[in-house]
Amino acid sequence: MIREYVGGGILGELAAEMDALERERREEQAARWKEEQEELDALEAPVEELSEASDLLVRAALLASGYHQHNRGEWRKRREPKESP
Amino acid sequence: MSPKKAHSKAKSDTYSPSELAKDKKKLMNLIDRAQDGDESALPVLRKVLDEVPRVARIIDLARNVERSIIEKMSGDDVFTQEAIPRNLKAMKREIAGENPSPLERLLAERITVCWLELQYFQALYAQNLGELTITQSDYHQRRIDKAHRRYISSIKALAQIRKMGPAVQINIAEKQINTAG
Repeated sequence: MIREYVGGGILGELAAEMDALERERREEQAARWKEEQEELDALEAPVEELSEASDLLVRAALLASGYHQHNRGEWRKRREPKESP
Repeated sequence: MSPKKAHSKAKSDTYSPSELAKDKKKLMNLIDRAQDGDESALPVLRKVLDEVPRVARIIDLARNVERSIIEKMSGDDVFTQEAIPRNLKAMKREIAGENPSPLERLLAERITVCWLELQYFQALYAQNLGELTITQSDYHQRRIDKAHRRYISSIKALAQIRKMGPAVQINIAEKQINTAG
């Protein structure tokens, strides 16, 4: 923060008024930006939820169909145990 | 099996399939067990997939998200409000392909929603590019990156299911899918 003494009287009053206006403008901008962020967050959250839910379903379907994830990477068909003679 | 896993096994075996389907944490626990090779988890997992109309609920969620993004994108422009859903419908049909399984249909919905989200974030960033501070620009780029990752993983999920072929199926009443549309 930089403080600058401009003296008293009319000049001082004008400077104070300009400062107040500038502060107000910045506060308005910050509030608008915060509102925008909240709106975008609200839009993003359900997409994230959708992605998580469908990933869960995909994993469940693969596992139920006899696949397993090798080292948390590639999905492979689980080997059937050999029948003993 | 570790004592921790044995404890969670005992716990999740006492839940009904519908309880498990509603509770993501419990379901994830069951999936983890199956993934770690616990075959006793598979019958419960199959029941969850058979009994619960989860796909229909997720498709509903996808459509709601789609509507919100379209509203945001088009504002008062009624032409855009009309045109985007048409394009998306064609896109979904093309991605899902001929005779898609319910799971493929869901994943096609997910891909289009993720694509739409990415388009929206990119357009928003481009529109405001000249007015953004460095911090704001950074914020937008991070959001775009996240949306891009979601889009890529949605494509990967469908490719994975297609690679495994028709063996991967989930039983779901057809009417539950149709009513969501």
